[in-house]
Amino acid sequence: MAPERLLDVSELEAPEPLILALAALETLAPGSYLHLRHRMKPCHLYGYLEQQGFASDTREGDDGGCEVFIWRQDEVGIGEAAKTVADGLKPWRE
Amino acid sequence: MNYTALSLSQSPPLAVPLRFFLTAPLFIIAAALLLGFSGEELLVTRWSPTMLALAHLITLGFLGSSMFGAIQQLLPVLVGVPVIAARQVSLLLYLLWSAGAACLVAGMGLGWKLGLQAGGLLLGLAVLGLALVAGRSCLRAASRHPTVPAMAIAVVALVVTFSLALYLLWRYGWHLPLAHPLTRLHIGWGTVGWISLLLFGVAYQVVPMFQITPDYPRWLRQSLVPLLGTLLVIWSFVPWSAVQQPLSWLLAAGLIGFALQTLRLQGKRRRRLADVTLDFWRLAMVSLLLAVLVWLASHWYPQPVVELAAGVLFLLGFAGSAVNGMLYKIVPFLIWLHLNNLLQQSGRRQARVPNMKQVIPERMARWQFRLYLNALVLLLVGLPGVIPLPVIGLAWLASSGLLWWNLVQALRLYRRVLVAQGD
Repeated sequence: MAPERLLDVSELEAPEPLILALAALETLAPGSYLHLRHRMKPCHLYGYLEQQGFASDTREGDDGGCEVFIWRQDEVGIGEAAKTVADGLKPWRE
Repeated sequence: MNYTALSLSQSPPLAVPLRFFLTAPLFIIAAALLLGFSGEELLVTRWSPTMLALAHLITLGFLGSSMFGAIQQLLPVLVGVPVIAARQVSLLLYLLWSAGAACLVAGMGLGWKLGLQAGGLLLGLAVLGLALVAGRSCLRAASRHPTVPAMAIAVVALVVTFSLALYLLWRYGWHLPLAHPLTRLHIGWGTVGWISLLLFGVAYQVVPMFQITPDYPRWLRQSLVPLLGTLLVIWSFVPWSAVQQPLSWLLAAGLIGFALQTLRLQGKRRRRLADVTLDFWRLAMVSLLLAVLVWLASHWYPQPVVELAAGVLFLLGFAGSAVNGMLYKIVPFLIWLHLNNLLQQSGRRQARVPNMKQVIPERMARWQFRLYLNALVLLLVGLPGVIPLPVIGLAWLASSGLLWWNLVQALRLYRRVLVAQGD
């Protein structure tokens, strides 16, 4: 199974992107990471990630949108895989 | 699904922003009544006591109350730092601001010296309180989101706007100074610094979030508000009219640039569904463009009707529409958010929570938009005195009354759901 689970919420109005992201994280299979694609940085999500033991890497997509790679902090190998994909994109700047 | 994750520890209690949002339309209702019962001489000049009272019912009452609520809601979430004793601080600010606005407006309209003094004192304490709350948040900000410096600059502009007003009132023995040279600065800092820059900062967050547009370009988010703030400072201190004129044009260009950029983003939105907030914001941006053009025209045609048209287009066409439209997103969003949190925290994970479109039905919001547009057009067309003022007042009463009704219904729904779930 591919370790990436892609979730594109870039055409959804608040609060749907946040709801779908949380649902995806709750059901994220062990050994995989979430690749969240949004039109803006989901600033309400990061507090939850920290509380629930997730790590993340936020990047700027080719279309100027926001790409967030999220994995469980204790899954080091999955984090490395996610970062490898994320490194292909520019760092996110406010 | 665990929605308690959305509780956002930095988000203040629902009462914090909602008491401001529910009070704001009451000031437009008061303005509508005042307009309806004013004599036709009201429109002769923008400097009459009644006209000043009307303008401040809109700026302090409707816009100010909404902005106080929005800052207290957005700033802690964006910077990641909650306000200490948010509920108590907010209640104090609410009482000071609402009572101060009512006293000051009564003092203006009735020539009531004590009202002006009490209003000045109460509003001063409220502005000071907001500045302290915002200042603390900005100093501890973990986020570099451009809305944060925009809010900080806007609050500084509010302090300058208010200080100028207070100085003028004190200098003139608590009588209205009317067309004093310093009132030009008061209006400039109030309209460009406080109202526009705050709305720009809020727009960076809420336009992409709720109108499904791409983000504002990074260069614009980072540079426009600080640039306009700097220009405003230079414009205020440069004594030479030869330099002031080009500075005014640059400020005007900044406002026009923001309006055009917002219209462009709205044109590129991903899902082209009808949305009443989108329509309010389109009206707001077109009005901002027209307001700037009419204001520029007033330099060559300094007629009262031209100056009044610029003021109406800016305050009600631009700022009023933007605030009214955002209330239809922020209030349902907050009610949905808090209902979820309360029900989930009390262990009722399966409880049914209405979605945002059920909190304020689109049909009711759409009717209010039509009434708002109708009232705005009637006021603009009626400025030369061709439409009886009671007709225009009635139109504004209908629009603001329905806005208030829609917001109150949202609160009633919140309470109904809680009662039904046994809270």
